[in-house]
Amino acid sequence: MRFSVRLAMPRIGGILVAMLLAAAAALGFTAPASAQVTASSPHAEGTILLERSAATPGDTFLGALRLKMADGWHVYWINPGDSGLPPTATWASSPEVTAGEFRFPTPHAIPLATLMNYGYEDEVILPFEVKIAPEAAIGSQLTLGAKFEYLICADICIPEDVTLSISLPVAATPSADAAASSEIAETLPTIPVALTGQAVVERSGDTFRIGVVDDSLASAVASAKWIRFFPYGADILHAAPQAVRTGLDGVSVELKANAMFAKPGEQDLGGIIGIETADGKLRGWEARATPGIVPASVGTVAFAAAAAAAETPALPIDQLLVVLGFAFLGGLVLNLMPCVLPVLTIKAASLVNHAHNPKEARAHGVAYLAGVVVCFAAIGAILVALKAAGDTSAGLGFQLQYSWVVALFALVMFAVGLNMLGVFEMGSSLMNVGGGLADRGGTSGAFFTGLLAAFVGAPCVGPFMAGAVGAAMVQPAPIVMLLFVTMGLGLAAPFLILSFTPALAKVLPKPGKWMITFKQVLAFPMFATALWLLWVLAAQAGTDGVMLALAGAIVLAFGIWLGGKIGAKALGRVAAGLVIVGGFMLAPIAMNLPRAEAKVAAQDWSVEQVTQLQSEGRVIFVDFTAKWCVTCQVNKGAMYDPAVQQTFADLEVVFLRADWTNKDSVIAEELKRHGAGGVPLYLVYPAGGGPPKKFDGLLTPAMIQQAVREAAGSV
Amino acid sequence: MTALKRTKLPILIGSAAASAITAAALIVSSADAAPPGNAAPAFKELNTSGKDISLADFRGKTVVIEWTNHGCPFVQKHYNSKNMQATQAAAAKDGVVWLSVISSKPGSQGHVSPEQADKLTLDRGAKPTHVLLDPDGSMGRAYGAKTTPHMFIITPDGKVAYNGAIDSIQSNKVDDVPKAINYVTTGLAALKAGKAPDPAATVPYGCDVKY
Repeated sequence: MRFSVRLAMPRIGGILVAMLLAAAAALGFTAPASAQVTASSPHAEGTILLERSAATPGDTFLGALRLKMADGWHVYWINPGDSGLPPTATWASSPEVTAGEFRFPTPHAIPLATLMNYGYEDEVILPFEVKIAPEAAIGSQLTLGAKFEYLICADICIPEDVTLSISLPVAATPSADAAASSEIAETLPTIPVALTGQAVVERSGDTFRIGVVDDSLASAVASAKWIRFFPYGADILHAAPQAVRTGLDGVSVELKANAMFAKPGEQDLGGIIGIETADGKLRGWEARATPGIVPASVGTVAFAAAAAAAETPALPIDQLLVVLGFAFLGGLVLNLMPCVLPVLTIKAASLVNHAHNPKEARAHGVAYLAGVVVCFAAIGAILVALKAAGDTSAGLGFQLQYSWVVALFALVMFAVGLNMLGVFEMGSSLMNVGGGLADRGGTSGAFFTGLLAAFVGAPCVGPFMAGAVGAAMVQPAPIVMLLFVTMGLGLAAPFLILSFTPALAKVLPKPGKWMITFKQVLAFPMFATALWLLWVLAAQAGTDGVMLALAGAIVLAFGIWLGGKIGAKALGRVAAGLVIVGGFMLAPIAMNLPRAEAKVAAQDWSVEQVTQLQSEGRVIFVDFTAKWCVTCQVNKGAMYDPAVQQTFADLEVVFLRADWTNKDSVIAEELKRHGAGGVPLYLVYPAGGGPPKKFDGLLTPAMIQQAVREAAGSV
Repeated sequence: MTALKRTKLPILIGSAAASAITAAALIVSSADAAPPGNAAPAFKELNTSGKDISLADFRGKTVVIEWTNHGCPFVQKHYNSKNMQATQAAAAKDGVVWLSVISSKPGSQGHVSPEQADKLTLDRGAKPTHVLLDPDGSMGRAYGAKTTPHMFIITPDGKVAYNGAIDSIQSNKVDDVPKAINYVTTGLAALKAGKAPDPAATVPYGCDVKY
């Protein structure tokens, strides 16, 4: 009995609805009975908005579909990107009513794993033009209606639709729907506008560079949170990073071509330049670029990533801890890298001296820690500042990309070498920096040793914590700083622990006269380090730069001699404090001198070259290197090992080299793409195509041989 | 002895850190696509009977690779309309190998156990040679699979001949199936006639692959 009642209820409701519908139809409503101004699908609510509450014959005005989406769901722009579909309308209006295409507002980039979508979240208003036929009768009721279909996605995608309709009386004079008009008016500034200037596109290899000249765009970029090119077609890789530059006349963007759809050579490229302004509004400029030279006035400054970083959500705490853990490990591992070893030798010498006095040893350990941390914090701060200034290609080791820093460093090395040879004496506490001979209370020396260890060590950090650095670089400044400080803690940790271990005294030799000889011997690695730095300088600034540095060395030597005469103690203290370090730096370079004939010479790397060779089915070995990267130089020993060279020749391996000695945004981009924060990075592309195998850190001949054999499929 | 221990430990820590970082880097690195003309990326994935299947197993045969996710409305469009099954059956008749690949990560839409995958094949009357399970997305990334469906045709000598959409109408509507040009059908016919598929590359449409 109960059951039958329950079953009967909906039926009665259905009959009632049917009766009402019949009544409505009798009253002359032409719209389908189910249609209404607002309706909901499972994840969105759709509403028709019209500027007019009454229209005149021959009237033209705007209407819009407003979609309010559930949290976390999005719909798509006219080009959805790697997946998805844009919303569509199937019109079912009175014959006197014609509605046009959607005018899509500027979208957001919506990244999904390795894919990129373009679309809208929360709410979007899609305006369209409405025309009323001149023959529409005054006093008649017209209907504008449509089935709006949209693919709506969160982590899954669902095709949904709403069928909406709105009635529109025809009158002799129009009347406005104030609420709808203001909503539509608010959206209009987000619809891309035509350019006042021109748009051109240059092609080089797999890179498009689009330049867009427009006054309103040029003035809007100052307050932009992000700037992005949204293509109409499939010519670019949607998910590839875009390098944006700005200038007085507009914006230029570097884009990676999609090899499958971009035509070889020059071609047109259409899309919009979208920006989000400081107040969160989206604006767009329609760019239909034709082949041409991108004017310099749209590419003077790299667009500041600092503003973009502000919208990057902070790492969740668990991920942050993981990143910090890697930073600590990265710092720790640094103790083994060739670039830091010379500094550590000096530190070890000082330990020998102090290990017999536990209290002093502890004080020195702490001072050393402070030095390391201060230097890492300084590097972090400068990187944050560079990033804020728009230099997105800055990475770890950036300090050696500036030729003046290299030159200065070479001079300091030279001065320290002179000092160690006893050419001049500086304050006693200074000596402590080097050998720890004279002044037993010189904690400032330990501090300087720490500074130096970090300064020369930072370029080596890259390979060991590429992932962590990459993740952190886009984070807000405080997190970047935290990361660098943690890295410093890692570097300082072993010596700090040793300093607090009294048992050490028993293991280490007693200080004595031998240490003076030891100090003098250390002078020669210093000179060798200076030579290495001049070699780096030669690559950066040419012969003129080297001559300038050598002239500087003469001036310096004279100054030191003069200083000895007049006793400029304070000056000397700082200079020598900065250096003693790099002593053994040259050892790896000496190791790297030509030892065997290279059977397979390295060729210059480029993305196109790799693509081309891969399509030919070749095994490719890519060496991402820089002259200032000592690990890279050490690894050359493995690469030029006769057995490795023979294997390269046998397997017809193509040996490519990307030299990052000077700043180079293409290489920086590629390193980033492979998750590396710096050099060295080695890629071995398999003969059968597909992604490369990656190596960083120290290589052995066996590792290289194994990798290329696997890549050639001959294991 | 002590010296040995002292130097070895950091190396161990270092290599552990380096490998963990490399693994992390692999996850974030972007997909390398397989454009037509290139050698098809090699792969080795388990089929639903737990057997390792690799591209090399099918040298000398034309291979179709289909990325799929049974929960995706675009996949449903082509299975509910029997379009995919018909394409598979026609391919099988010509001796073409058909691999349906599921790259949905565990817990995401479309991720299935081997048993569920077999049941789906049976229930839908699908005719793939193998259904490959790629829950870590390695095969999907190697091919640059973007959507479900996303179709590839590999020539008997292991080159990518077609990369793109199943057909010419980007929609989720079954009604569009008969109106559209099925690019896999036309691509296979071209190869059979000794010609290259035209188009060889189209923009795939559908749901994103759930990496």
